[in-house]
Amino acid sequence: MPFSAKLDEAMMRRPEQVMRLDRMGSSFPTRLSFMRALIRRMSKEQWKFEKLRQDVDENGFGVSVYAAHTPERTYSLVAFTQDIPADMRTDRVIAEVWDATFNLFDGVPTQGDIDYLAKNTPKQEGGRFRPSELSLARANKSLRLFEYIVSSLADGKQPDVDLVASVGYIMRTTAVYGSGKFGCADRAKIADRKECKVSFHMELLAVYLIRWFTIDLVETIAKQRGGSKAAILEPNIRQFIGVGNSTGLGMAPFLLKHPVLIHNWVTAKETALARVRSLETPIQGSLEAFTESIKQVVQHLKEWRVADEIQSARIEKLEAEVGQLTHWCGDEENLIKPYPWNGIYQFAEDNFSLECQEMVVSLVIEPHGALVDDLADAMFSTTVPQFEAGMSLSKLKSIVKDYYAWATSIDFSLHESQYHFWYYSEDKLEPRFGSKGVDDGVDQEMPLAIGRDADDLNEQLKTASNDITVGEFALQYPQFRHIIRRIQNTALRPYAEVQDNLLGEKMRPLDLLRFKLAFFGASKFDPKSDLWTRISMYQGAPMPDQLSYADHDDWAFPIRPKQSV
Amino acid sequence: MPAQLTISLNEILFIFTRAGFGVNAPIGISEDFARSNMWLAENGFDPSMCSVAALDSLDEGKSSLVIERSDGGLSGPSSQYLSALQASVSVLDIIKGEQKSELTITNVDSPLLVVAALGANQVEGWKVCWCDETGANFQVSFMVNDQWTVISDSSSAIELSKGATMQVSLLDDIGLALKGNTKRFDSGTEKAKILQTGVAVREHWDAIYAYFSRCLVKSTAESRASGAGAGLVDTD
Repeated sequence: MPFSAKLDEAMMRRPEQVMRLDRMGSSFPTRLSFMRALIRRMSKEQWKFEKLRQDVDENGFGVSVYAAHTPERTYSLVAFTQDIPADMRTDRVIAEVWDATFNLFDGVPTQGDIDYLAKNTPKQEGGRFRPSELSLARANKSLRLFEYIVSSLADGKQPDVDLVASVGYIMRTTAVYGSGKFGCADRAKIADRKECKVSFHMELLAVYLIRWFTIDLVETIAKQRGGSKAAILEPNIRQFIGVGNSTGLGMAPFLLKHPVLIHNWVTAKETALARVRSLETPIQGSLEAFTESIKQVVQHLKEWRVADEIQSARIEKLEAEVGQLTHWCGDEENLIKPYPWNGIYQFAEDNFSLECQEMVVSLVIEPHGALVDDLADAMFSTTVPQFEAGMSLSKLKSIVKDYYAWATSIDFSLHESQYHFWYYSEDKLEPRFGSKGVDDGVDQEMPLAIGRDADDLNEQLKTASNDITVGEFALQYPQFRHIIRRIQNTALRPYAEVQDNLLGEKMRPLDLLRFKLAFFGASKFDPKSDLWTRISMYQGAPMPDQLSYADHDDWAFPIRPKQSV
Repeated sequence: MPAQLTISLNEILFIFTRAGFGVNAPIGISEDFARSNMWLAENGFDPSMCSVAALDSLDEGKSSLVIERSDGGLSGPSSQYLSALQASVSVLDIIKGEQKSELTITNVDSPLLVVAALGANQVEGWKVCWCDETGANFQVSFMVNDQWTVISDSSSAIELSKGATMQVSLLDDIGLALKGNTKRFDSGTEKAKILQTGVAVREHWDAIYAYFSRCLVKSTAESRASGAGAGLVDTD
């Protein structure tokens, strides 16, 4: 590989630059994102996909099973569909019914398994699951698109591509659970399997199969309704249809509770960027691919339309900046210098918004699969942060000083600095974001006030002797045990920490959501408030029958297909 | 809630952390408490059995999180048990952080939780001995490669052992081994089984869940409508 570790290290962006909410909230997926890596694995290992069962009536209600056969084992999506009242269709955790509910089953389910799941899966959090279930999910229909596509196909017509593009999906998942939730398999059960090792690959396999299921379902209903005149979706439209998702506050606590994992994800991405920036001369064809991808991004941005005023303004600015970048790259002088990728990145950092800077990160990494794709395999963690009792207090003080200046510089005595708190509602354990003095529950606050707790610790440390150990200190002040453990971990894994006040009045949980969703590979962020967003997953990704195509990995920044005449 | 429920290790981590917090244990100690309970579950125990006693005792004021250290070891207030939640992390901090070879912990409410903390942290070459308030004697030895044994001269369950003065020492400093029934464990093998079956919890689970529920906030019409941002009906 044409890179040097030393140069890479020098090119790494610093944690205090990367792990800020405003930049995190400007993230875009990269070729290392989990969906991209999973699709590459499916293609490389020649996974086979099979519909094992579809017992649905003329409205599509019933049970279906779709299987993914890897070289070593089979995973099956078990799907239940039902009729629900329109006024009970909500994306919130507190929902009680859903149009479709799913499990990803470890193997091929027997009739006994399906009977068990039929009694539990439609209840979602109210059901109980077993280690044979790897994932639990649900989805609701797009009221704009589901029936429209069925009707179009039943009439033998293709749906209008503009309308399809305006939604992007037939169904929208509202939760995809894994890792031991509600009795499902613990991650440890499958963590040693190569196809499960990287974060969220099983959950995203479930989503991939859900996407196939939704497309198959509308075609099946259309066939029953339209008979011989019914059409199936054209391949390019199928490929453009993704799975929607509504993401709320549940993702935020996850990010904060898994600092080692987050460090590993960010390290992979930042190392990829550093490797690319360290290239003195471009790999053959890569600059041309980059230039082509900018053209596609221009179209992608035109199609990324949202109602949210803040995001709309950001997209508008991004479009203008991508225009400037195109112009700059059009000047050959700018690209023939040594380290052209670093030049491109630096130009973006010096001149453009965070949204554009992060898009450029994705774009410059994109044509360098051979250089960076190995990093995707490291995006997991088996490490549990340890409390290092033997550390000297002077060492701990030094770590706080070096890594938590962002926290100790905040004045937490101000009302606006501790404006919010995070809590679990008794209502189906829905995570919620409260305001102090307005909402109940401050006493039951989730332990996510990292900055405040670090600042409190810092104040206490000022009065403590340097000559004792952390263990001796914790014996006196056990209330600091959790934050000490966290701080000790950060010294080893500096990308672990969000370096902003998560309680502040202006804090937008949305930034955390987008950061995590970008790692998943989600696109078309469509914020509905500061607390939740809709997204598309797998939009543009190959369908199971397209995984063997040479261009199976070319679906970054998807654009809508042309309408056939 | 059924009499027997099968749960995952991740649910133990989530529920027990907050159950500890529910009896006002600091969150960092509660996190360690939950990891100890995961280890118990991985070794085939119903973790709620000994933990509910520890949580009840704290909640009722019979146990204390206050801990004092002297030359000989660790103790709590004379009129109360020393909570195993606090004792377990302190024992670990001392033997891992200070390279001590011997430690006494006085009047611990649920000694199995101290054992579990050592197991969860993969200590090797240590033994723990105690005589509880019923006079039952136990010796737990941690060998290499996840192997550990329990020797007991009593027929009562180790999970129910209570009110013990515990000796933690290096395994090669054995003296006379306890005579009694020996049970051998291989944590790796036991965990692999549990990952296939889930963890069975029985009648004490409801009490654990009740402590966990103290961390949940009552829902109001306002928080239901606005606390999570999204609307209550979706029509896209």
